Amino acid sequence: MNNLMSIALWPLVAIVGAFSFAALALGRGESVGAVWLVTAAVCTYFIAYRFYGKFIADKVLRLDDTRVTPAERHNDGMDYVPTNKYVLYGHHFAAIAGAGPLVGPVLAAQMGFLPGTLWILVGVVLAGAVQDFIVLFASVRRDGKSLGEMIKMELGPIPGSIAMVGILAIMIIILAVLSLVVVKALADSPWGLFTIAATIPIALIMGVYMRFIRPGRVGEASIIGVVLLMAALLYGQSIANDPVWGPAFTWHGTHLAWAIIIYGAIASSLPVWLMLAPRDYLSTFLKIGTIVALAFGIYYVAPQLAMPATTRFIDGSGPVFSGALFPFLFITIACGAVSGFHALISSGTTPKMVEKESHMRLIGFGGMLTESFVAIMALTAASVLDPGIYFAMNAPSAIIGTTASNAAQVISSWGFTITPDVLTQTAKDIGESSILSRTGGAPTLAVGMAQILGQAVGGKSMEAFWYHFAILFEALFILTAVDAGTRVGRFMIQDMLGHLYKPMGNTEFLPANIVGTGLCVVLWGYFLYQGVIDPLGGINTLWQLFGVGNQMLAGIALLLCTSVLVKMKRERYVWVTLVPTVWLLITTLTAGAQKIFSSDPRIGFVALARKFSTAAAEGKVLAPAKSIEEMQRVAFNNYLDAVVCGFFVLLVLAMCFYTFKICRQAWRQAQPTAQEIPPMAPQGAMA
Amino acid sequence: MTAQTLAPPRNGLLSRVHNVRQVCRQVFGIPDYEAYLAHAAARHPGLPVLSRRDFFAQAIDRKYGKNGPRCC
Repeated sequence: MNNLMSIALWPLVAIVGAFSFAALALGRGESVGAVWLVTAAVCTYFIAYRFYGKFIADKVLRLDDTRVTPAERHNDGMDYVPTNKYVLYGHHFAAIAGAGPLVGPVLAAQMGFLPGTLWILVGVVLAGAVQDFIVLFASVRRDGKSLGEMIKMELGPIPGSIAMVGILAIMIIILAVLSLVVVKALADSPWGLFTIAATIPIALIMGVYMRFIRPGRVGEASIIGVVLLMAALLYGQSIANDPVWGPAFTWHGTHLAWAIIIYGAIASSLPVWLMLAPRDYLSTFLKIGTIVALAFGIYYVAPQLAMPATTRFIDGSGPVFSGALFPFLFITIACGAVSGFHALISSGTTPKMVEKESHMRLIGFGGMLTESFVAIMALTAASVLDPGIYFAMNAPSAIIGTTASNAAQVISSWGFTITPDVLTQTAKDIGESSILSRTGGAPTLAVGMAQILGQAVGGKSMEAFWYHFAILFEALFILTAVDAGTRVGRFMIQDMLGHLYKPMGNTEFLPANIVGTGLCVVLWGYFLYQGVIDPLGGINTLWQLFGVGNQMLAGIALLLCTSVLVKMKRERYVWVTLVPTVWLLITTLTAGAQKIFSSDPRIGFVALARKFSTAAAEGKVLAPAKSIEEMQRVAFNNYLDAVVCGFFVLLVLAMCFYTFKICRQAWRQAQPTAQEIPPMAPQGAMA
Repeated sequence: MTAQTLAPPRNGLLSRVHNVRQVCRQVFGIPDYEAYLAHAAARHPGLPVLSRRDFFAQAIDRKYGKNGPRCC
């Protein structure tokens, strides 16, 4: 019976998927329904999960349910808990889904919806889901060890230390770029800033409630939190229109950057129960709720894709980010296709909760496919917008100017006809003073979501509410990530400094904590501030630096997976990890080299630095810098970016070298040399 | 406490509500005190258990302590 169902069902899924792709591909010259895009993606996921995921589970990894998982071996009812596979899938998804899959696809939409869609789908099936799945598998077979520890175990202590430094560097860049997204979304937006500011006292109230008033009652505290949050969101409009409070909550980018830096330092030093934990719950509820609502919204409203399949900007001349489709599309969309950061989650709490090995296909492979679905929805929301509005929001003011008429003229000259009236009316609809150059992806996604959700619930009059709801949802979990990330960064810094001077490694030692937190905040704060004052809008620089770093980490994780497969003597399947590894290395090394050496100042860090330092030497001031001093700072920052980028490139080359050496040794051995926990029969009660 | 008093109520609707709540807790990563008590009763009968408050405080400290960064 099951077999019959399967024989009938899978061809049907394949046909629906193929039909959806045909609708996308053949709809040239006229707009295509967004539903086709989403359906094509969903069918791809099902087929990939059923066939490729199963192939990896059965043939490549040979998952074995008679092996004892760490959750069973150490079952303590707290950290190590054998968990239902669907529940753990949900938990794992909630942990990996962040701002990454929402921002990258929005930026990549400047090349049209097709390149991004294809990379998200091909990338997730062949690279992203494979990485998450195999890293999870490797960690479960190694007693729940983390990525860094596994690299140390399988590749040696030097690669282990190199990877740890790399992970810290990528963390710093991620924290900077995520903060920059928040700054760009909240600058000059009193409604948005008020609601985000309100989450701080709301989280404190929840924290005190859960700790003292009704200890451990997270559900009750969360209901209180959500009600207060919605009240703040509704009240925000009155605040924005108030003659006194409106201007008080209207902040410029540089001030907001300082505020977030100070916030990060304080929030990450508070006890976790007071702010981080309650806020994390709040943001997880909003995150899952909003993603589900958006999926229903797209099917219910069935909007048309206004963005063409491809635009002229695949040649690299785009205003949102510079650089041609190859390699920069593959750097810009990281999370959603393949994200190195997931390797840290897949070797974090999830492996300690896996009940049976066979569950890992759903949790690792399936979890990443779901994250990819989020990326597809973000791309859809950006592509539903009028392209004129999309470019007005995402092009820096250095290109489109600061007035609606100027912006409309420039954007229309690119072939995306738009009138100044539409730009001002759109700003009015969403309750903002202007939509020009609101870069960073979050506001664009918010406008797209507002239009979709507005058509589903509430109509035009609700668009302002939905816009600020979407901004709140993104900013809330980014700020939670800033808080949590600063803590983790502090532990990493203290761990490293502890090797040089023992007391620094003691996390109970207050001066060491202050130095650790301070260093971490200064590092990401520096890159954030530099992004805010960057002549090309910051996102152009930082997002690509982040993309290079994140994909490099994915490359490192896949190198580890490759060495694990070779050491298990599964050489005939090594292409499963080797193909995505090679592709990631090609794209990231090309992008890294172009970011450093390109003679085009819009792409190359060194070229831009030279341009500014040469002009400064001649006494000329280039916009938007206002003094010779600022010119020199721009030049210095770009040299620094080139160094960071070069560091990532060297890091991954070193990892390649070590992996190759280890794999060659293992290949010659007749016996498996992977350092797995030996299998043993499942035991009932164990202390 | 014994394992019996901790078992979810067996009549249809209540049991379902209980299950839904438990699933939500686990998905959102909320420490599950009832599950901990059940575990303690089943595996370590007779040993003292943490109070709800202490269990929750420890769980949160561990979750956001040294282990693991979250995603971008």
